[in-house]
Amino acid sequence: MNTVADAESLAHSHDIISIGVLADDLRRRRHGTRTTFVRVANVAADVGAPVSRPAAAGEVRIAGVPGSRAAAVERVREVASAAGRAVVTGFSLADLEQLSARENVTLRALLEELRAAGLELVAEAPVDRLQDTRRSIEEVNIAGMALARLTVDQSSSADPMPLLKAVADLQRRVAVLRAFAPLPRRVNPTAPTTGYDDVKHVALARLVVDNVPSIQVDWSLYGPKLAQVALTVGADDVDAVSAEDEVAGGPRRAPLQEIRRNIIAAGQEPVERNGRFDILGPLGTLGVVASPSEGRRPREERSP
Amino acid sequence: MSINRTADRIRSGERVGGDEALELYRRAPTALLGRLADGVRARKHPDRIVTYIIDRNVNYTNVCVARCTFCAFYRPVGSSEGYVLGFDEVFRKIDETIAVGGVQLLLQGGHNPDLPLAWYEDLFRAVKDRYPAFKLHALSPPEVIHLSRLSQLPVPAVIARLMAAGLDSIPGGGAEILVDRVRAILHCDGKATADEWLDVMRHAHRAGLRTTATMMYGTVETDEERLEHLLRLRALQDETGGFTAFITWSYQPDHTELAGCEATGIEYLRTLAIARIVLDNFDNLQASWVTQGGKVGQLSLAYGANDMGSVMIEENVVRAAGASYCMDEAEIVRNIEDAGFAARRRNMHYEILGDPIFREREVPRMLELATARVAGDNTTPEELRFYPARSRSGKQERLQDGRIAGLQDGK
Repeated sequence: MNTVADAESLAHSHDIISIGVLADDLRRRRHGTRTTFVRVANVAADVGAPVSRPAAAGEVRIAGVPGSRAAAVERVREVASAAGRAVVTGFSLADLEQLSARENVTLRALLEELRAAGLELVAEAPVDRLQDTRRSIEEVNIAGMALARLTVDQSSSADPMPLLKAVADLQRRVAVLRAFAPLPRRVNPTAPTTGYDDVKHVALARLVVDNVPSIQVDWSLYGPKLAQVALTVGADDVDAVSAEDEVAGGPRRAPLQEIRRNIIAAGQEPVERNGRFDILGPLGTLGVVASPSEGRRPREERSP
Repeated sequence: MSINRTADRIRSGERVGGDEALELYRRAPTALLGRLADGVRARKHPDRIVTYIIDRNVNYTNVCVARCTFCAFYRPVGSSEGYVLGFDEVFRKIDETIAVGGVQLLLQGGHNPDLPLAWYEDLFRAVKDRYPAFKLHALSPPEVIHLSRLSQLPVPAVIARLMAAGLDSIPGGGAEILVDRVRAILHCDGKATADEWLDVMRHAHRAGLRTTATMMYGTVETDEERLEHLLRLRALQDETGGFTAFITWSYQPDHTELAGCEATGIEYLRTLAIARIVLDNFDNLQASWVTQGGKVGQLSLAYGANDMGSVMIEENVVRAAGASYCMDEAEIVRNIEDAGFAARRRNMHYEILGDPIFREREVPRMLELATARVAGDNTTPEELRFYPARSRSGKQERLQDGRIAGLQDGK
């Protein structure tokens, strides 16, 4: 089966169930019923800002644009010293590109400084904002760091196929992309993407970008309902689940219970990971993935 | 029977039984359920038209004696947060509704013991006097039963009086799950048992009214009880043919006594799909974007829905329980067309009224739904003094007004 050709033919169709089934088949061949998720504690990029790190966080993410090279390094030091065992990630690679240009240092030198200060992964690389996509991603690797996810900043075209093909081509060249989050981080508030748009986009991403291991959906940005649907049409990883455990409404409404409930209701097996994609065992320790038979048996979601 | 054989029977247009439906609901892949439901929709609506209505969801009072544990909207009798809308407030809401192309009010409220049947009759007549063509889709079965008890009149007589005053159709609210075990746990068996709810609809259909039917799932019921609910509706529809549409939504838990969690989006799509399959004698299924959001609301069109419901303009009940989505006509139409369907305005009888109104004339965009009243507005409508109250606090309030002495039920 030529999945890219199938995707091409379905890209302009309204048959979201068929395209979802194709993508889900591919996702299951890669990941079975396993769906990973990561609980993230976001902290601001400003030096001296509070660093709240809930014990459950598998990733502490520095969010925002650093004001300067020195401020970025100092902030990483602050966060790393407070992060405990949680993985420290931060920044957008596009912002770091701009910062290095502004301060007349190479991107690699900046990344190496950040790594020395304690940054393990660059949080995201928005494919549509990077100046030199391939080279900048390679610099992350050469600097001894990893890229947490390739993202799309803002959808600019009704046809996602050119961008998705470009991402697949990029991965053929760099081979370091671990996860791709195809849904745009910013949408036009007067005409937001629709459910059909999002489902098609995720499914096409799985079909076209078949050389990146994980297709990711953002829990906090897209909300539980759409994120859950995305898991049935090609996505296998959930980013940005809140690490806060104390919530109004009692323990059943806590983010951990909510994400698990949603993954199971989608017929899949929830598996928690940290920011490095290491699978976590009980209580957030590195551990072995639980067998599917240990939990509720997922509903067989393959079409007969 | 295997899922595959059941699926083949559905594809060939055969009716499914309860056991088959339960097996499908529990075991069939979501994509298969969606395809089967979409097939039923396509057979019933081969023209690929998806409809919607421009109406306003008005809650005339939040005072309620039913005390359902899943409800975050009601306030008990005597509460400082209780309200009753005045006739003038209702007229103003109708004016605003007509201004954006609206054709009816969906008028529902709490079981307020201080609003006698005459209040409703006078309100309906006043609306019809001012707006003869405007429709009143009003008073769910539990409200009709409440009025029957309050007025000591049988349900058919209450329906007849309301119809004479201007009632056009009855919304299917208050059905929750039509199984008395569930209703007892939810403390809503007092407002209407399953049989009583169905009987009101039976009487309404016999009287010539069309009604909708609903199901709120995700509280304490089992899968079997959801299917029992659907089968009871199907049986009544076989008997009367009076239901125009079915709408299902998930329980919204915020700020309710029952609390708990909301069912997930996939569960909504599966429930919608199984409803489309089981309710083979219902012409129309609505998407509940107001509880699921616009995105899953739109996805409903691939899982059996052929109607995007109402523009709503105003919403109070679901918002009180934590959901606050908004879609104006332009957004509803954009979602319908983006899914590959043609969007058409309809009335409560699902008769096509025309193309989107915003393409005919300028209509202001609506970015959030209105509420019944501005927060903190506790004014008591002037005309209430003409109607006798039944509650102690209501009597005291109206006696303090000193102007109802000697008045009986009515003016």
